[in-house]
Amino acid sequence: MKRNAVVVLICITLILAPGSSVANPGGNGDGNRDYSCGGSCHGDPALSMPSDATIEITLGNEAFSGQAVAIHVTIDDISTPSQIVGIFILGSLNGNSDTPEDHGWHLIQDPNGGSSNYIETKVSSSGSVTVTWVLLSPESSGSHTLYAEIHHGSYAGDKAFSGVSEPFEVNVQDVPEGLPGLADDWVAPSFRVSGDSSPLSISTRNSTDITVEWMLDGEWNPTTAELVCKEDSEDVCNDWEVSIPATMGEANILYRVITFNGTFSIEQPWLKMGTAPPPFEGEVWSARAHSFAFALLIISFLVTLQARLYPPNQRDDMDQTQIVASSEMIRSEENPGWLWNPDTQEWVEDPDYEGGN
Amino acid sequence: MMVGAATFHTAMAEIVVGSMVLATLCAVGCSMSRILPSSEINNESLMVTMDRASLAGSVLALIFLPIAILSGNVAADGQAESALLYNKFVYSGLALGFWSAFVIGRIRMGPGLWEERPLAILQSTTAGFAFLMTSMASSIGGKLVRGESLFDVFPFWLPTETAAILPLWASVSLLILGITSSALVFRFTLPKISRIE
Repeated sequence: MKRNAVVVLICITLILAPGSSVANPGGNGDGNRDYSCGGSCHGDPALSMPSDATIEITLGNEAFSGQAVAIHVTIDDISTPSQIVGIFILGSLNGNSDTPEDHGWHLIQDPNGGSSNYIETKVSSSGSVTVTWVLLSPESSGSHTLYAEIHHGSYAGDKAFSGVSEPFEVNVQDVPEGLPGLADDWVAPSFRVSGDSSPLSISTRNSTDITVEWMLDGEWNPTTAELVCKEDSEDVCNDWEVSIPATMGEANILYRVITFNGTFSIEQPWLKMGTAPPPFEGEVWSARAHSFAFALLIISFLVTLQARLYPPNQRDDMDQTQIVASSEMIRSEENPGWLWNPDTQEWVEDPDYEGGN
Repeated sequence: MMVGAATFHTAMAEIVVGSMVLATLCAVGCSMSRILPSSEINNESLMVTMDRASLAGSVLALIFLPIAILSGNVAADGQAESALLYNKFVYSGLALGFWSAFVIGRIRMGPGLWEERPLAILQSTTAGFAFLMTSMASSIGGKLVRGESLFDVFPFWLPTETAAILPLWASVSLLILGITSSALVFRFTLPKISRIE
């Protein structure tokens, strides 16, 4: 009775154990997502609660149509056990087609170095974090609305918290003729491989010259990078190669492009470039051969060990039995009690012979 | 209706892991049964049942393990593009080796092997290592697909995120060594092992 109760208790514990991790407490990873992931736990009124955090959006620089603009999202007073928070930058709150790209913006870089409208980051111990997206403003001038949304967990673990900012109006101004900027189709590289010092390609538009400043993440004094124009044109050059030193480990480089054209001198937002580990060099055929080699070596070793530990008395018995069982000896009626071994061309005693009885 | 390679691989891996859990528990149980004194629970009937269950479980797993490995190969698109995938190959090979040795030993020596303490310990240790290697390979599968594994809760574990990569020539040399040693063992050593009465 007691044993049955223990078994039942163990079964119930095992069934309930995964309950606490039904959600994704580690997050879903960065990506392009609509408002509340288009109906996740965080958007379900039965499973979610409004977050106490305050969310504020600010503009890093004046927005001109088709030009880069930095959007800062500051979150304060957030309370989350894992310190992980998911942050969205959105063009609407419909639950579909909400990404800024759906509303005419173009993502140059997200706060993690990628180009997603949803990112996951950690908040400081004081419950605050500020992140920056760099976007190209829509081509159409006028008022454009952006929202920031956050997702996080709760200490009780039973609710998915969600919060959304007030609508933030961005007044996109008409671009003056010849205003230099970053090219529409250029996406800032999110990382370089560790030790890679190859030049960085930057595409601009309407630029007669550019300057690139760089510094390591955490530093304050930028260094001007050497650069060359890849075009032969004498007036405007929109393809550049910039020499930024190689990085190692987990270092991040911040860099800023300043585009020039006549009297225009436009400081583009700071961009971040991380350091990625070198690509994995393993080959699939090497892995396959390695795998089967280990299999065969293990079999050889263990069978040898089995033979080594095999009891000696059994080995002796086996030897006698094997002689008769495995050989193809010929029993002759003319010589009862004897077997002819064609391999050795000898007569041997028949162990089964019982004296003719 | 077609089923994706990854889904098929998961199903095969689940059969393998399930069978191996049964085989490992029963193999360790057989050893324990011979170490512990006989009692109402620890009787001959239990011993026979556990021995047969471990054999059935390990044979079933050994049949499905190559299918799981092959389907995993297809699901991985013939790539070993990360240390996790490379290690999955290596741990699968180790699991195959340990389980094959377990089954070879049990079939050649029969249930009488549990009567010989050194062989019983070797056999249950082999099953334990085989299960460890299989668990590692399947745990890596969880890491690749879901980014987490049940083994994450353990503070110590075998390495999965760093791999000792061998160049192709070294792997092939190792494979030739493995084939040669297996051929020698099957030709000269295996015939010395027979059913223990």
